[in-house]
Amino acid sequence: MTNLIAYIPALPLAGFLLLFFTGRRMSKSMIAFVGAGSVCIAALLTIVIGITFLQSGSSANTQTLWQWMRVGNFSCDISLRLDALSLVFVFIISFVGALIHIYSIAFMRQDEDYARFFASMNLFVFSMLVLVLADNLVLLYLGWEGVGLCSYLLIGFWYKVPANCAAANKAFFITRIGDTAMAIGLFMLFKTLGTLNIADIQQQAATIPNVTTIALLLLMGGMGKSAQVPLQTWLPDAMAGPSPVSALIHAATMVTAGVYLVARMNVLFLLSPAAMNVVAVVGAITLFVAGCSALVQTDIKRILAYSTISQVGYMFLALGCGAWSAAIFHFFTHAFFKALLFLAAGVVIESLHHEHNIFKMGGLKNKMPLLYYTFLAGASALAALPFISAGFYSKDAILWYSWSAGNGNVMLWAVALTGAFITALYSARLVIVVFWGDMKTPIAQQPGKLMTMPLVTLAILSIIAGFVQWPHNLLHVTLFADLVEKVLPATVLKQGIPPELLLQLIAAVVTLGGAYTGYLLYYKSPHIIEQWKTAEPNLNLREFFVKGWRFDELYQTLFVKPFLFITRSNKADVFDKIHQWLVTACSRLNGWLSLSQNGSLRWYIGSMLVGIIFILALQFFL
Amino acid sequence: MPIQYYIALASALFCIGVVGVLTRRNAIIVFMCIELMLNAVNLLLVAFSKMHYAKAAAAGAVTTAGTEGQLFVFFIMVVAAAEVSVGLAIIVMMYRNVHSVDVNFLNRLKN
Amino acid sequence: MDSLQLQALLPFIVLASASVVIILLIAARQSHTVIQITGFLMMCLVVLAMWYVRDVLPRAIMPLLVVDGMAAVFTGLIVFCVLIIGLFSFIYFEEREENPKEYYILIFLGTLGAAVLTISRHFISVFIGLELLSISLYALIAYLRNRNNAVEAGMKYLVLAAMSSAFLLFGMALIYMDTGSMDFDGIAKQLQTQGHSPALFVTGIGLMMVAVCFKLALVPFHLWAADVYQGAPVPVTNFIATVSKIGVFAVLVRFAQAVQLQSYHFAVIIISFVAIVSMVGGNLLAIKQQNIKRLLAYSSIAHLGYLLVAFLPGNAAGIEAGMFYLFAYSITLLAAFGIVTMLSGRQADADQLEAYRGLYWRNPLMGAILTVALLSLAGIPLTAGFIGKFAVLNAGVQQQLWLPVIVLVITSVIGLYYYLRIISTLFAETQVIFPKEKSLHPLFVAGTYGALLVLLILLLGAGIFPSAVIDGIKNFLCQGFRIINF
Repeated sequence: MTNLIAYIPALPLAGFLLLFFTGRRMSKSMIAFVGAGSVCIAALLTIVIGITFLQSGSSANTQTLWQWMRVGNFSCDISLRLDALSLVFVFIISFVGALIHIYSIAFMRQDEDYARFFASMNLFVFSMLVLVLADNLVLLYLGWEGVGLCSYLLIGFWYKVPANCAAANKAFFITRIGDTAMAIGLFMLFKTLGTLNIADIQQQAATIPNVTTIALLLLMGGMGKSAQVPLQTWLPDAMAGPSPVSALIHAATMVTAGVYLVARMNVLFLLSPAAMNVVAVVGAITLFVAGCSALVQTDIKRILAYSTISQVGYMFLALGCGAWSAAIFHFFTHAFFKALLFLAAGVVIESLHHEHNIFKMGGLKNKMPLLYYTFLAGASALAALPFISAGFYSKDAILWYSWSAGNGNVMLWAVALTGAFITALYSARLVIVVFWGDMKTPIAQQPGKLMTMPLVTLAILSIIAGFVQWPHNLLHVTLFADLVEKVLPATVLKQGIPPELLLQLIAAVVTLGGAYTGYLLYYKSPHIIEQWKTAEPNLNLREFFVKGWRFDELYQTLFVKPFLFITRSNKADVFDKIHQWLVTACSRLNGWLSLSQNGSLRWYIGSMLVGIIFILALQFFL
Repeated sequence: MPIQYYIALASALFCIGVVGVLTRRNAIIVFMCIELMLNAVNLLLVAFSKMHYAKAAAAGAVTTAGTEGQLFVFFIMVVAAAEVSVGLAIIVMMYRNVHSVDVNFLNRLKN
Repeated sequence: MDSLQLQALLPFIVLASASVVIILLIAARQSHTVIQITGFLMMCLVVLAMWYVRDVLPRAIMPLLVVDGMAAVFTGLIVFCVLIIGLFSFIYFEEREENPKEYYILIFLGTLGAAVLTISRHFISVFIGLELLSISLYALIAYLRNRNNAVEAGMKYLVLAAMSSAFLLFGMALIYMDTGSMDFDGIAKQLQTQGHSPALFVTGIGLMMVAVCFKLALVPFHLWAADVYQGAPVPVTNFIATVSKIGVFAVLVRFAQAVQLQSYHFAVIIISFVAIVSMVGGNLLAIKQQNIKRLLAYSSIAHLGYLLVAFLPGNAAGIEAGMFYLFAYSITLLAAFGIVTMLSGRQADADQLEAYRGLYWRNPLMGAILTVALLSLAGIPLTAGFIGKFAVLNAGVQQQLWLPVIVLVITSVIGLYYYLRIISTLFAETQVIFPKEKSLHPLFVAGTYGALLVLLILLLGAGIFPSAVIDGIKNFLCQGFRIINF
């Protein structure tokens, strides 16, 4: 069964190649069949392999495909490694990916670049699978860059609109900052250990002298990909891509690559308490900053984008606290409900003539009941409503560990709790404004079966996916933690923490309070907000949040403007002169040397003799 | 005669050949000069062969030392003959094409 | 000579008989097609013979020859090249009026010469092999005798190569004087007992190096290369670029291994110097070249310079790297010249860059193959050329040969420029209408395309799964190194 691992990424790759080379000549149904079919088969295969893997009880299966090169003592193997951590990721990527592909069949039906869309999506799934299955960091980096490329291609999918291209560029540039840091980290790691094999790194990690630097550099890479403060500004703009893209890449999978990286490299982080603290603080800041922004957005996809940043922030917080399994658990549930929310948002937008502003929506509850209930399931999971939603189980664990885990403290818990309140508030706002009240825009079309099927599946999962892991003091079900703790270190608890039940109650009350506040503000008595809006400082604050804490403007002033200034003052291309000189020199030398090729046999003989004399002289006088 | 004399003679012949190749315009004479160079080497080899034989014989043994040099000379002569036959054929073709055997006419192929 | 020695020589005997068979076939007035197919089968037979005798290797045939693993690798590569070149030759010569049959005699004789070089362990066999190769080449280059360019190229090569042979012989004579021996092991033994390197020996080595550098077209003995490449028929150019260089490099490696050439300071200096000026000169000359045959000539000058960097360390890693490099370089040039052959018309070869404008849109397969070949020459990852260059760099870095290594890297960047220039031409828009290809026997068209596809697969395969090739070379070399105990 181990030999089948390679087929999981190979299927989407085959789909990509087929679509890339022959897609133009295929009919649309053929494209859909290839594009979605490859990922669906990969998902089925994952389930089969996953079950076998769990039954076998082994800790990791490694499959070496081939050795790319071995020159001297340097070797680079292409091998895949399936363990509990990668199994969770592979499952989410292929399974949620398959659902999103099915959804896309209908969603993208009208688009003329149908083949290009599915080709890019398949390439993305392939790259992401390579990223999580890689057994060495070189291969991981290949997948890492691959998903970056696909993200770029898909954000700018509708490239005829300049704003979309700008968004794609922005995403590419900002993640590149993180990628560069990560590459430097990899170089340092290789220089110190002489290997980039993950298992070897885990064994030899204790011998690394500058582990904090390396851990922080890798974290930078993760922060870029996972849109953590201060590299978070690209994700809201990335919503320019089609909704399935947002669901798959910018909610469920790619943005959690940073979480995967940190979890995978947990040994390095455990060796460096400073780096752990940085991870936790970055997560806490991010979840708060993004949560505030999500509160005041009016574009439905931007709300979801900010909420994604905020939820990934929770995962980082958990990682930083040392609650490894809780972070991965939150990734697990988040993938379902956030993909669901994006897909549902896509349906809403499509039905309302590409309307993105939530205040121009409303009253969809009765017209599209199925959509409403699935969205409600997703939103309640996002808000982490107790017991009935998957999000509760994962977020509750993070809240609890943010104080009780070895690296947690009360400050982090307070921030996380505030975040929970904000999350519940904007979730409620989203549901109420979009689905309740009066209808403001007429509905153009109802979603077809291909679109509702993934929605319903994901909605069910958003409710039940949490049952695999219960809080310790309620039901003692710890299936998920048992699984991932085969790979990840177990969470260590501190002493002297208030009882878990108390914190849970507080969290539940805060969450319900947030939801109720939303109900109050946006349904029951909207005049409070109207009143609030009349004050000047409040409006300024709102504007500040809407613009994502003005990070874009900050970067504009700090980096872009000075850079433009430098380029403007360098209009004469002073620096170009340096390599221009090289070009001239090459060209000049070429001219001179060409003169020697003058075709005269006697000149050839003569120069050969001169060469002989020169060589003889060289060996005698040196 | 000391071996240096042979070396000097052969080197002189070789150099004459080199100078001839460099300065003569007639392709056939250029070719003759190359043959001269080869023959200078032949002379050298025969001389060395004799020298090594004499050295071994002086040591008092019945020896085959130095036979290789003489053998080599035969090979060189055979190969030189083959080279000449092909070379002259090419010179004939050159004459057919440009109606001259002057090597200075060979200047069409250049940068 | 016992039967085992005879067995070890079997592939070479078959190779030698190939030209005899062709002569007999010509005497029996057989057609070009028959001769072509027979030649192809004979070459396959050589490969089979090599496979058949692999267990009796390594075996020395005193005093001239030694058949060992290294010889098998080099000869295998040579025969593979000739197989492919033979296929390309058919479509090239079939459409020209000249009688193409004798061409095959010459090409097989040349191959025999190169193969003899790979198994030589004695000055006499080196000389015989080299001259067999060179004399065949004189005739091959001037084969299209109505073309002025071909005759001029033949004449130039004739004069220069004959002169370089004279220098080689002079060098051999001087070494013979100093050591009293002509076989490599004898020389090595003599040198060990003497313990020093007198002036005559140094001069002898220098003169021999000159001749080798000439045959490998290294700067400053490279001037003939571009003219000969341009003037010769394309398959012959291909032959010079691959087979003759493999043979000469093989003998260089064997000689250097026997006498520990790299342990002499002066030899290292000459080789480094030649390598560096070749890399710089070759790449600089190619920058603005518009004639693709000349451009490939300059590029091959640079590539042989890279190869010398692998030769410099003189250890097993270096030789492995060199062999892999030579392998990658040969299949790349075979593919590139194969495309040139396919595009060449009745009157002239397709050597102007203009003829390649928009090739990809006219014939995607050929365009793709040429693109991959050029990328491999430039050393872009996932092609054989990259792995070769990487191995060479690795061998150089391990011995801390910083200067050649740095020059290698810098000149590779310069090289990238002109390879990409051709690639951009391949993908350019074109309005030119090219005449339809002439009708050939479909078997040969299929065969030629098949050969090109095989080369493409090898180019990419060796880039993606290089360890198979590297391990193969290593296995053969292990057999080869046992020979030292003889």
